[in-house]
Amino acid sequence: MTHSVAGAGMSRRTFICAAAASTTALPLPAGARAAAARQTAGSSPHGAGLRSVDLRINHQDYALSLDPRTTLLDAIRDHAGLTGTKKGCGHGQCGACTVHVDGQRILACMTFALMNHGREVTTIEGLSEPGGALHPMQQAFIDHDAFQCGYCTPGQIMSAVACVREGHAHSAAQIREYMSGNLCRCAAYPNIVAAVQQAAAPEA
Amino acid sequence: MNPATPAPRENQGAPLERVDARLKVTGEARYAADIAVANLAYGVLVTSTVARGAVSELSLEAARATPGVLDIVSYDDVRELRKPTFGMGSYTSLGPLHERRIFHDGQIMALVVAETYQAAEEAAASVTARYAQEPASAELDSPGTEELDAAGKVAMLKKDPASGDFEQAYQAAPVRIDAEYRTPTQTHNPIELFSTTAVWSDGQLTVYEPTQSVYGFRSEIAKQLNLDLAQVRVVSPYVGGSFGSKGPLTPRTAIVALAARRLGRPVRCVVSRAQGFTTQPYRAPTRHHIRLGATRDGTISAFSHEAWELTSRLDNYAVAGTKTTTRLYGYGAVASKVRIVRADRQTPAFMRSPPELPYVFPLETALDELAYALGMDPLDLRLKNDSQREPIEGKPFSSRHLKECYEEGAAAFRWRERNPRPASMREGDWLIGFGCATAVYPTNVAAAAARVRLAADGTVRVQSASHEIGTGIRTVAGQMAAERLGVPLAAVSVEMGDTNLPPAPTSGGSNSTASVCSAVLKACDQVRARLFQAASAAKSGPLAGRDVSRMTLRDGTVLAGDGASQPLQQVLGASGAGAIEEYAEFVPSGAPVDAMQKLYRGQTTMVRSEERPAVSFAFGAEFVEVRIHARTREIRVPRLLGAFAAGRIMNTRTARSQLMGGMIFGMSSALLESTELDPRSARIVNADLQDYLVPVNADTGTVEVIMLSETDTSVNPAGVKGLGELGDVGTNAALANAVFHATGKRLRNLPIRLEDLLGGDSAA
Repeated sequence: MTHSVAGAGMSRRTFICAAAASTTALPLPAGARAAAARQTAGSSPHGAGLRSVDLRINHQDYALSLDPRTTLLDAIRDHAGLTGTKKGCGHGQCGACTVHVDGQRILACMTFALMNHGREVTTIEGLSEPGGALHPMQQAFIDHDAFQCGYCTPGQIMSAVACVREGHAHSAAQIREYMSGNLCRCAAYPNIVAAVQQAAAPEA
Repeated sequence: MNPATPAPRENQGAPLERVDARLKVTGEARYAADIAVANLAYGVLVTSTVARGAVSELSLEAARATPGVLDIVSYDDVRELRKPTFGMGSYTSLGPLHERRIFHDGQIMALVVAETYQAAEEAAASVTARYAQEPASAELDSPGTEELDAAGKVAMLKKDPASGDFEQAYQAAPVRIDAEYRTPTQTHNPIELFSTTAVWSDGQLTVYEPTQSVYGFRSEIAKQLNLDLAQVRVVSPYVGGSFGSKGPLTPRTAIVALAARRLGRPVRCVVSRAQGFTTQPYRAPTRHHIRLGATRDGTISAFSHEAWELTSRLDNYAVAGTKTTTRLYGYGAVASKVRIVRADRQTPAFMRSPPELPYVFPLETALDELAYALGMDPLDLRLKNDSQREPIEGKPFSSRHLKECYEEGAAAFRWRERNPRPASMREGDWLIGFGCATAVYPTNVAAAAARVRLAADGTVRVQSASHEIGTGIRTVAGQMAAERLGVPLAAVSVEMGDTNLPPAPTSGGSNSTASVCSAVLKACDQVRARLFQAASAAKSGPLAGRDVSRMTLRDGTVLAGDGASQPLQQVLGASGAGAIEEYAEFVPSGAPVDAMQKLYRGQTTMVRSEERPAVSFAFGAEFVEVRIHARTREIRVPRLLGAFAAGRIMNTRTARSQLMGGMIFGMSSALLESTELDPRSARIVNADLQDYLVPVNADTGTVEVIMLSETDTSVNPAGVKGLGELGDVGTNAALANAVFHATGKRLRNLPIRLEDLLGGDSAA
């Protein structure tokens, strides 16, 4: 049902074709004619108004053709097909979409994709190899049961990795403060603090 | 020691890692809106900007002309849809596009579908409406509301519980408390946004949507779209938090499915955070009038609980928590009455601990007031009125360890070091207050089905259409199978959240662990029986001819009563079977005979606590420390502690996390959360996560969870009481009581905000 898409140099159009080919192809239905009739010159999604945006996500290049209003979050999810990054509000209020751009944590819903042209984007999928060893922060989240539903977790982990890197994980109080941009409605907060402390601790 | 993994006490399961832990920390867990669908079109809702009136004109021209727009579904387009039916399946009877009337703020007026999300957003924003606006009633006290007695009119209450002559007992009581309390509208706000993805293929509809009830959704979707159940599949593998909000279907789903059918293309509609406040249900605001009478030694002789709950104009909904509060202690005479108040709002629905969270608050606050009136420790007052029988029908509790919870909790919290005098404890600029309250939640259990397969290689697959909403149900269902089939949890895979699997009840009322684990247990026992039979029936082999009734299964080995053993792989190999697969239906005692058939049709039939010969509840004692700044009145909560007895604990890790998260949720219900309405327009003014306050990490201090050992096999075969909605009950009262202890100021309306503590008290 789900596909690992995202080959280097894959455009949105080729992504869609690839996705279509690998699921049951949908018949072109009668209802589509009304929609087609309504489409006038310039309204084609692949026509005027789209911009080419080169994104580099998790060390892979993506050549995307995007509506310039597309946020980095929507580009990552809907166009690059990396759905580990979550949308929780679209207004920079919940932290679920936290990713790293050039090593800094940012809210992917608060920046347009084309503003990140050529920058290095890291998402939760880029933190460890599929099936391979986990990043110490990911392992710490498991060890301390630092999630329940798991929806905010990718954002929490990306924030947590940055929190340690920024030098803001010296005490529980400091971690609480610097992890407060990421909401967890299940309220795994004490476990998140414990996980960040474990991952921040120098190797024993 | 890692506090996340408490050592199990007797009748508690090991704190095993969640089976989906790796998926969740790598971003590989797929939530409904993550599921890749080819050729998607994007839908955005257009919602009303008034709360009551008629839509005289909806201008869609600009939206239709927006580049990339494919279709708009609005009034006149839904003749193929049947209106929703109010009940467990749908939270409302409102078909928002069936008539041009507006019943609440933010009501759906159209769905715009476009090639891209950006185009759909632009087009939706260009829609304008003209209304014949009417004055709208927003709140319980607003003019224009309509008040009705709830009993007999709402599903949750047939009759107001009562016992004895309350008025007489109350008048005779030497010490009396008479006060009013309020709780606000609250909105679930799971971090996952609500969404619907509808995909048609050869007349078959697949809906990907976060839900607490795939079978319930399927049934209601089929009804609204005039389809057979077999034509609809609902898939919801992981759910990003629910708290009740994803229990019943909302009208959006059928509208999105209709759009996808018209367009001949899959449509995904992810609802904005703001629209989630108005197109989904919420926790209704409540008002309570509590009267308590007691003798001077602290024996309660009279208790009356009257309550008012808000509902919509269309549907009579109430949670009616008097069923719990009137049974909580050994009161003398009891009276109760629930009323519903119809206003211009959407219909409310379940939110975590629907009846208990708002109803236990006034009772447990009033008890604190009574304790002060008596000059008694609030903890001692509760123990004084602890009872092994409920006062309404005099039924016994199946088990009740509230006293033990208080004793162990109080010791761990160092409650007895508290100076009981209000505003007496202080550290620097911080006033310190301790408060306590009882947590209680009824044990619900429902019919459930499961299929379990034991393969020859020793791997096990568990299938049941329950829902992983963060509770750990996949883990505990897997743990149950691993335990019964003698294999490690790593050998078990668990499939859930799909109507192609055997049905499970709505993940609500904290019934899932009890119900699903009981079904898994039954299926596993059937697998064991077949395996043992195969071992015994073999012509040769170490177990040939052995007594199956004395066989057990441990560490991948079948053991006979005399100690003979054979690896289960060999048993299966010798029998020639590739796997043993068993389907089981668990129907709890007291359930109607057609409970399982109803479940297949999407209806969960809970056997409720008070309907059983012995009523059963999980209990807890909660303790809160608040610190209030003497000058700014900033309120901090450095410590929460809860001691709970909830029957068998399947996994101490997942249970602790739920109870911990529950207490923080309860703290939030007391201090932070309130959906604010403008009384002039009945519109919500804080429909986002900046102004609807939920706790952040920095709001949270230490949270300690104690799980007492309790064994109660009368509740269900798994012996599980359910605790997902236990931890958040009573926290609000404990907190309000702590605020009183810190400041001497009694606050009876939630949420408690620092402005409530400014001026006019004795503590500055």
